Amino acid sequence: MISEPTQEDKPMSIITTHNLSKVYNPDTVPVHALRDVSLEFEEGEFTTVRGPSGSGKTTLLNMIGGLDEPSSGYVVVDGVRITGMPDRKLINFRLNNIGFVFQSYNLVPVFTAYENVTFIMLLQKSSKKEMDDRAHELLDAVGLSSKLNSRPKELSGGEQQRVAVARALASRPKFILADEPTANLDSKSAMNLLDMMEKMNREENVTFIFSSHDQRVIDRARRVITMVDGAIYSDEKQTPKRTEPAK
Amino acid sequence: MKMLISISWRNIWRHPARSGVLIGAIIAGIWAGIVLSGWANGLIEQRFNRVIQDELTHLQLHHAEFLTEREPQMTLDQADSHFRWLADDERVRSFTGRTLSDGMIQSPLTTSGVQIRGVDPDSERGTTTFHQNIVEGEYLDSELRHPILLGRKLAEKLNVEVGYRVVLSFQDLENNLTSGAFTVAGIFSSGHTDYDERNVFVRNRDLSELIAGELVYHEIAVMLYDAELSDELVKELRQEFPGISAETWYELSPELRFMTDVGQSYLFYIMIVVLAALAFGILNTMLMAIFERMRELGMLMAIGMSKLRIFLMVMLEAVMLTLTGAVLGMGLAWITVDYLGERGIDLSAIGGDTMAEWGYDAVVYPSIPSGDFVSLTFLVVGVALISALYPSYKALKLNPADVVREK
Repeated sequence: MISEPTQEDKPMSIITTHNLSKVYNPDTVPVHALRDVSLEFEEGEFTTVRGPSGSGKTTLLNMIGGLDEPSSGYVVVDGVRITGMPDRKLINFRLNNIGFVFQSYNLVPVFTAYENVTFIMLLQKSSKKEMDDRAHELLDAVGLSSKLNSRPKELSGGEQQRVAVARALASRPKFILADEPTANLDSKSAMNLLDMMEKMNREENVTFIFSSHDQRVIDRARRVITMVDGAIYSDEKQTPKRTEPAK
Repeated sequence: MKMLISISWRNIWRHPARSGVLIGAIIAGIWAGIVLSGWANGLIEQRFNRVIQDELTHLQLHHAEFLTEREPQMTLDQADSHFRWLADDERVRSFTGRTLSDGMIQSPLTTSGVQIRGVDPDSERGTTTFHQNIVEGEYLDSELRHPILLGRKLAEKLNVEVGYRVVLSFQDLENNLTSGAFTVAGIFSSGHTDYDERNVFVRNRDLSELIAGELVYHEIAVMLYDAELSDELVKELRQEFPGISAETWYELSPELRFMTDVGQSYLFYIMIVVLAALAFGILNTMLMAIFERMRELGMLMAIGMSKLRIFLMVMLEAVMLTLTGAVLGMGLAWITVDYLGERGIDLSAIGGDTMAEWGYDAVVYPSIPSGDFVSLTFLVVGVALISALYPSYKALKLNPADVVREK
């Protein structure tokens, strides 16, 4: 069911989670992945959700992204309650509002970098010119304008992840959820990727929410949420710092 | 849709070897199925044409009880009016009157039971193609007195050749046994050994003279311009001449009709078996493709590709994969059937005699109606869609959260 934003939602919040809980295997061996998580994210944030493996970072991002249903509580994105939304509407909502960057890139291997970026715009039924302009602009922004026609297997891990970021941005989403985006990258590629995303956040006000236990990602964030055993342990603002890769 | 077609086509070629093996299997299966059914179709067609054109014709007229009793006195009393009626009908291409009797043939060596077929050489030649079966000597328009045509098998059995004399014995209209001496004018080979051994041909006026002392007819055989018209013509003949029996080729020879009916669906029986086997190959390939792309499909759902599009993408992939093999297989089969249809498949070395005993030619000219290729295309697409249903369903049941969570 979709509801109008409530009085509780602050005007500036782009995402609000209300008492989110997720229990896997409730009838056999219950696993509490999330416990009563209530958070607010504002437009233009550059936030990292940190925590050890199994602390609920990915589950939280999946709830925010509408990929998974909570056992209780709900998520409101830009004033729209996405929890309980019918499948077809939810897919369409994700298409137009949320960008995803995955740990293992997940590019379509039979597509070129250009096609991977334009694919999501094809789903949005954008015009040819619009797709072409946007793809060139984004691939230029991520430093891959010379690799438009390269397929994923012809790109390095870092380059593939940059294509994934360009793809996430192509649909002009309200925010980007990046799950462990640097986990498979070497230090230099990770730094380049973070520089690029930070620049987009600073210059274009793109909202990024990361889940990561990579210190380089945590250091760059202006807000760090720490999760332990599915619950919020701390939620702090910080001054970002750039950790240079080891030589 | 263009996007889905593009992505599906590229997906097929992610694993060229795997797709190539399946396409190869489809090509081989469809080629073999079509060529085999083309051969069977050609065999049936040749048999049909031979039976209709050599003797049976599209419809026949008889005395009402002749076909069951076969008594010599059961003649067509108003044959002249039948001839006039047929001559005036534009649907009739040609017709001929025959005098028939069952009797014995005797040579110096032995005696054999035969059906004696008295024909008018001119009208029979204009109606049937039997005269083309003469392999030795000449036809009944011979100058000889009382010429007779024997099948090769019977001639061998009687130990006679062209120019030899034989004696035919049979009943006349008064049920008296009568006989006449005939000279072998020619030897025929109809392609059906049994028929060649049991039938002899004489001039109807010679046979009628011995049976009735005047020209009588037991059978009028009619060829039409269009075999499909036999039904309506028979209906009209029954109304016009209620005392006689008028029957279409398929009423006279139900086994021939059964054979042609079966022949028409032969291709589909064979192809259903072939495609049923191929369906498991398609199912296996598509399932492998789905299982190894779980994460990618989950990602596509996560970023906003609808389940309907995912479903269509998998279905399209299966259809395009199958159609690629099917089109190549059908093309190859068409070339093969066309080539063999011109030159024929000569089976005389590996069973020509056996085939002749069953009434089939040793040289078979395969043929497939072009419309069957269209029906076959639909059949192939149908099988591909059915085979892809389960893999597509598996793809639909994916939960993007589960799939992208796996690291």
